[in-house]
Amino acid sequence: MEEQDQMQSSIEVEELEEQQQREGKRLEEENVVRFLDSLDSYVTLLDSLSSTLRQGWLELASARQSMGASRINGALLDLKFHSAATSLQVTHHDDEILNQPHFTLCKWASSKNGYGDEKLRENKLQTNSDGPQLRHRSQFAGTPEKIPETKGAPLIVDDQVQKERTKSLSMFGTLVSPKLRAAQLSFETALETLVEIANVRLTMLSTSDQVRKELEGTEG
Amino acid sequence: MLTYEERQIHLSWTQNTTIKQIEDAFKEFTTREDIAVVLISQYVANMIRFLVDSYNQPVLAFLEIPSKDHPYDPAHDSVISRVKYLFSTESVASGRR
Repeated sequence: MEEQDQMQSSIEVEELEEQQQREGKRLEEENVVRFLDSLDSYVTLLDSLSSTLRQGWLELASARQSMGASRINGALLDLKFHSAATSLQVTHHDDEILNQPHFTLCKWASSKNGYGDEKLRENKLQTNSDGPQLRHRSQFAGTPEKIPETKGAPLIVDDQVQKERTKSLSMFGTLVSPKLRAAQLSFETALETLVEIANVRLTMLSTSDQVRKELEGTEG
Repeated sequence: MLTYEERQIHLSWTQNTTIKQIEDAFKEFTTREDIAVVLISQYVANMIRFLVDSYNQPVLAFLEIPSKDHPYDPAHDSVISRVKYLFSTESVASGRR
């Protein structure tokens, strides 16, 4: 009877150990997949940033050609300090997956207009160069973000955001070329992409450290 | 002594900018508490590559971006170079030109 009890307990211990090993392996694979996802996102976002910036520079050059070099010139800058229309917030997540800082962009939030730190959101404007869709291979992705479809989506822009955009272009004159407005939107999109890149970079570095520790653990 | 509002938050690179100026700006921007993200053209980052590669603080985001005259090259990105060892047995600097 005692032997049977001992056998039973040893079997239970073995099963528990197997279960722990399976769980450990699952966590390792989860880290690897999350790392690969973040690396893929990082490269994809950088490629998107390159094309967005290229488009913005081209539109700026077109605007300069249509409006004249004297109207789009660095000499127009008054070199005075202005309150920032767009700010970056750093928050810290305490959950298990996202145990790292997170960057959030607050666009066109001006205290002069009474909005304070309120975040003004809008749907993405449909542009000629649609950004690549981020692919998440598995359900283990730490930040499952969805990029809204731009093709055919209706354009909804907040009036206050549009006023802020117009105000920022006012130093180039009252009537500005559509290309200059398009350049502004391109650089605004590039700014959003940069914040995404910053967040993905943090995820990639933290997951790569975890994968490296696991590899060192298996080798040792 | 400059006030908080008077401290510069950018360095515009020109042909006359020295490596020392770039290094000083890098050290200042990466140690200031009011700066969370530093953007640097990859072309300029290549001039201070040893400093950029040695930076590994997680909170401050240090991003290498393309410039108008120099496209982005993933092979020179410090973050990608840091994780490349996970895919090959070559050293991190072996692929650098």
